[in-house]
Amino acid sequence: MSENVNKKRSFMGWFKYKWNYDPLFSILIALIIMIILQTFVLGFDYDSFGSWWQAWSTNWMNLLRNNAGVAIIALGMTFVIMTGGIDLSVGATLVATGAFAMMLIDVGERGLLGMIGITGVTAIILTIILTVIFGYFLGMLNGIVITKGMVPPFIATLGAMMVFRSVTQHVMQGYNPRVPTEFLEIASFKIGNLMIMPIFYWAIIAAIMYFISKRTTFGRQIIAVGSNERAAKLSGINVNKVKLRVYSLMGLLVAIAAIIQVSRIGSMDYAGAGRGLEMDAIAAAVVGGTSMMGGRGFILGTVYGMLIISILNNLLNLFGVPPLLRDAFKGLIVIAAVLLQRKKDA
Amino acid sequence: MIIELKNINKSFDKNVVLKDVSLTIKGGEIYALLGENGAGKSTLMNILGGVHQKDRGQILIDGKEVNFRTPAQSQEAGIAFIHQELNLINDLPVYENMFIGREIKTKYKTLDHEKMIEETEAMFKKININLDPKKMVRDLDASYKQIVEICRAMMTEASIIIMDEPTTSLTDSEIERVFEMMTTLKNQGVGLIFISHKLKEVMHICDRYAVLRDGKLVSEGNVKDVTTKDLARYMVGYDVRTDHLSKKRDLGDNVLRVENLTYEHIFKNINFSIKKGEVVGFTGLLGDGRSELFQTIFGADDLTSGHIYLDGEKVQLKNTYDAIDKGLAYLPRNRKENAIIHDMNILENSSIATWPKYAKYGVINYPAHQKRFDHLRKQLRIKMGRASDSILSLSGGNQQKVILAKWLSTDPKILILDNPTQGVDVGAKEDIYDIISELADRNIAVIVLSSEAQEIIRLCDRAFVMYQGVIQGTVSGEAMTEHNIMSLATGGELT
Repeated sequence: MSENVNKKRSFMGWFKYKWNYDPLFSILIALIIMIILQTFVLGFDYDSFGSWWQAWSTNWMNLLRNNAGVAIIALGMTFVIMTGGIDLSVGATLVATGAFAMMLIDVGERGLLGMIGITGVTAIILTIILTVIFGYFLGMLNGIVITKGMVPPFIATLGAMMVFRSVTQHVMQGYNPRVPTEFLEIASFKIGNLMIMPIFYWAIIAAIMYFISKRTTFGRQIIAVGSNERAAKLSGINVNKVKLRVYSLMGLLVAIAAIIQVSRIGSMDYAGAGRGLEMDAIAAAVVGGTSMMGGRGFILGTVYGMLIISILNNLLNLFGVPPLLRDAFKGLIVIAAVLLQRKKDA
Repeated sequence: MIIELKNINKSFDKNVVLKDVSLTIKGGEIYALLGENGAGKSTLMNILGGVHQKDRGQILIDGKEVNFRTPAQSQEAGIAFIHQELNLINDLPVYENMFIGREIKTKYKTLDHEKMIEETEAMFKKININLDPKKMVRDLDASYKQIVEICRAMMTEASIIIMDEPTTSLTDSEIERVFEMMTTLKNQGVGLIFISHKLKEVMHICDRYAVLRDGKLVSEGNVKDVTTKDLARYMVGYDVRTDHLSKKRDLGDNVLRVENLTYEHIFKNINFSIKKGEVVGFTGLLGDGRSELFQTIFGADDLTSGHIYLDGEKVQLKNTYDAIDKGLAYLPRNRKENAIIHDMNILENSSIATWPKYAKYGVINYPAHQKRFDHLRKQLRIKMGRASDSILSLSGGNQQKVILAKWLSTDPKILILDNPTQGVDVGAKEDIYDIISELADRNIAVIVLSSEAQEIIRLCDRAFVMYQGVIQGTVSGEAMTEHNIMSLATGGELT
């Protein structure tokens, strides 16, 4: 039945078909509208095309760079939500892995790697590897509690959220690690005159996650588990293994985001950093069409969703909306996005 | 009350679903509405129930034309529609379910529990049902849930009740209970429209029948003037076989043997062995533990105790993947809950069990799966559009064939089929029977779980009958009769 519509070659026919049957299409349209709006708000009041381009692209560069960390976490959150779960502990994991990285790389006398005589590039590489493993391990802890302990993900990760942050704050009390300037290059290394690395990481991870979700056994099994867990199990899928890997991957991605964050500012506020991060990541996934019921989700959608939310923030900034009011807009756009998709499901 | 449907037409987009269908349904009769999946039964009933609107035609109630725009209007006119998926709330007691949406309140606007219980009791008494209104719906068996749903319809003073395949998930004795109630209602002047695939039930309980095929009314009349064979022919358009399909085959060695399998409270001390090329049935009433038994053998749940031997070798199946790897395949009952992954397309649903087997570095080898599926699709005569279409675009019978294709693609040595023809129309049912027969010819051991004794008798070489988690007895050859199976299934002995 739907194919009849598809065969109409007119633009409106194509548009209607895409609007009705391609879940990502309306999100993409919303994104394009946001970009156009943003372009107009920035204005065209420039001497030359060159200076306009300079302003426009700088704005974009900042926007992408500032949101790269959340964006990477949102990608992992998409997988988690697709299994029908949730991870509330990402903000706390960010702080824990960030602190872990700084303890390793610290050039002061308490630096762990420094103490055993590892310095320079080796120390940086080792820090990255160990931090990522640590993140993976923290995620796996969540996964074990959820699968083996059969604790609902909401509860398990809520508990983990409190544990991770509290322990980190306690351990780091009165300790201010100094991050070597070479470590900062991870995020601030410039190509041409541009500080582009965080965006670069985001793009690569998004591409890998996209590939995983579309083409790999693991990626498709995530959908099966979220869509119908019993059927997945009776189809030979090791449901617990899939979930364990999803939460572990989540932890790993948070660790990467933590490294980016530490290398951007060289320090971390253990009490405040990453607060509300889980909500931003969930919001990006949901705006991108991922269903909180599990099963349905799109990596590309999450990228769009993240961009939409970032542009919104950017616009609110440009419009001079008071900072305390900004979350209200964010909240409204999340609800609006879901409303838009609800209507289509009916 | 008399409902007349005159020249009803309905299409969805360009798809014509109903063509000039005319029917008359009277109070005080049970009217069978028959047809294969996709014949237009549901659409017709949905038009009567106010869910869909007709394109052309008339609906007359007692001679007056009506036009239902919403289900509420249809209900007001005295038509109750009981859907296949029951709309009961498990965590509320029976009487509150009876009054959902129409709760009786006290003058303080709180719920008047006493009054509701009283009225429910009165209702049950009127139709001779012995059931405690305060019981939780969760604790009722499937037949009583159906009965509660029917009573709820009666509460709304319905004079016509539409029942969409009410007996699919019921056991024989439960079906009897529902039928008794239907007869009582009929005698009180209520008209019942009974949609079913089970022709024997139709012969047993219905007064008149109508058969739809491809959206057209092909036959209508009195049930006593036809046989099940006639009805089956009207439904599919050609003669349907009823012959026995089990035949003498050269059986190979024991391929599966189990010893003292026990799963606390579900089944205990199960012993049996099965040979290559054998078709073995497992039957009993709902809740006899057979599904759980085979899901456990398949590695989906952990055993409490006992041993499993495959090809004479003791094995420990850790999970379902392990079981598939060792040559087991299990097609579950209740396709919708246990087999269909509705967020995936046909190809993915048909290949999910073999992804890891053909994957390289974890990347799914879609071309290989496509090739295998193309082959199976022809063999199983699956009617479908593109392999990338949603699994939900298929009819029940074709969905089941896709799931069957999934298991055949694992090249199983032992194929366990749990209610393989559940919600499948007559044509597809015969296709599935043929495939079972072919598989046995190819030396695959096939285990058929079914609560339909007829199915077991037609298909199997021998059958185990279970009762409350134990194997009550086995039947084979001449002794494999409906009578013997029923007597074992209800806890009796062979006579």
